[in-house]
Amino acid sequence: MNFYALGFLQSDFYQKFRNAFIVSDRYKLYFEGLGVTLKITVFAGLLGLLIGTAVAFMKLSKTRNGKPTVLSYIAQVYTDIIRGTPSVLQLMIMYFVVMASSKNPTLVAVLSFGINSGAYVSEIVRAGILAVDKGQEEAGRSLGLSSRTTMLNIIIPQAIKNALPPLGNEFIVLMKETAIVGYVGMTDLTRIANKISTRTYEAFMPLIGAAVIYFIIIKLLTIGLGYLERRLRKSDSR
Amino acid sequence: MIQDNLQPVERVIRVKGLQKRFGTNHVLKGIDYEVDKGEKIVVIGPSGSGKSTFLRCLNLLEIPSAGEIWFEDKLITDKKTNVNEVRRHMGMVFQQFNLFNNMTVMKNITLAPVKLGIMSKDEACETALSLLDRVNLRDKADSYPAQLSGGQKQRIAIVRALAMSPKVMLFDEPTSALDPEMVGEVLEVMKELADSGMTMVVVTHEMGFAKEVASKVLFMDEGIIMEEAEPETFFSNPQNQRTKDFLSKVL
Repeated sequence: MNFYALGFLQSDFYQKFRNAFIVSDRYKLYFEGLGVTLKITVFAGLLGLLIGTAVAFMKLSKTRNGKPTVLSYIAQVYTDIIRGTPSVLQLMIMYFVVMASSKNPTLVAVLSFGINSGAYVSEIVRAGILAVDKGQEEAGRSLGLSSRTTMLNIIIPQAIKNALPPLGNEFIVLMKETAIVGYVGMTDLTRIANKISTRTYEAFMPLIGAAVIYFIIIKLLTIGLGYLERRLRKSDSR
Repeated sequence: MIQDNLQPVERVIRVKGLQKRFGTNHVLKGIDYEVDKGEKIVVIGPSGSGKSTFLRCLNLLEIPSAGEIWFEDKLITDKKTNVNEVRRHMGMVFQQFNLFNNMTVMKNITLAPVKLGIMSKDEACETALSLLDRVNLRDKADSYPAQLSGGQKQRIAIVRALAMSPKVMLFDEPTSALDPEMVGEVLEVMKELADSGMTMVVVTHEMGFAKEVASKVLFMDEGIIMEEAEPETFFSNPQNQRTKDFLSKVL
């Protein structure tokens, strides 16, 4: 065997790498952790989008005289509470208080993060809708279209285009924020890395490894979002 | 009420005591006017005079604070009136064109007729193409608004309104946002439309258009109609001092 290769295999670096990823098939643990992270992120993201969209419409609702409705006040209170408290606390309250009897920690995490994300998404969606020029709505209504038809066919498609970049941002933030599920005893990617580092008495490799995995997933997501955005901007090309 | 129903059918729009307030800002202070079928009313006046607000009240894009607006035999300011049904018959063209940015020209034109069940998709496309022919823009059917010039956009916007076969067309400063060299092509379309017998209410600063096309010119200032006359009289022999001042500035 090549002298340098042998040297590498005996090196301290390689031994640490082996301990962190290869010994007792530890790499599988990272993937299991990543699975937990992704499961929570995807479902919480979808729930957040659902809640956020509904809450955004509540916020935009107006009475006949143009005054804010009761629904819009409720939506504002929800947003204030969620944005005004740490998400770790929300998760712990959900896990140890509200749903203490639940046997499904993933469900608890999805609900907690979904409700949390919904508050931020609602502001993104609201801003996306408000950013569509008022003339677009007026033109639709002037042709005799109902406000519902105008919303669905004219405003929302343009609002989605406005909201996509900040929504992608929110999804990325959400994915990284799920790293706090370790606080309630769930083993996601971050928690696994932490566990392995306490097992091997060596923190560098597992933590950097987990960081690289997060980075790769998010980079792939960013590329996908960029592609989607370019497709949606087709109508803007000159 | 009975008396109202006996009015000749030719009367398209009747406005009685129309007022509009935005908060403490009293924009329209009582407008009375009637538009007959086939008339071309051109509304001029300094900015802030309430002429755009007046126009936007006619199809209830602004809700009047007081007064009545009748469209044919319907009191449209009545809360029970179906506003959407009324607007189908009143085309509107905006200063900023307001083409739907997320749709092709074809979709812009066919959206309302198809969604409202007035035409099938095929019928709407045919109508759209023949209307596009009228404004020489058939080749732009598959373009998006962002790919068009201002003049082209405004001509498409006129076509979009026409696709609903409206009984009256409202124009809100249709050439004010255009580059000077594109004003002509839009006015040309509007003149053709006027010649075809369309009832039109036009808010504009184009005095040439007013002279040539209008059946009546209204001068608005301070929220009321200050003067109303046929174009020859209006431009050659204005009665009101405010009208004289205004015309001396713009002519």
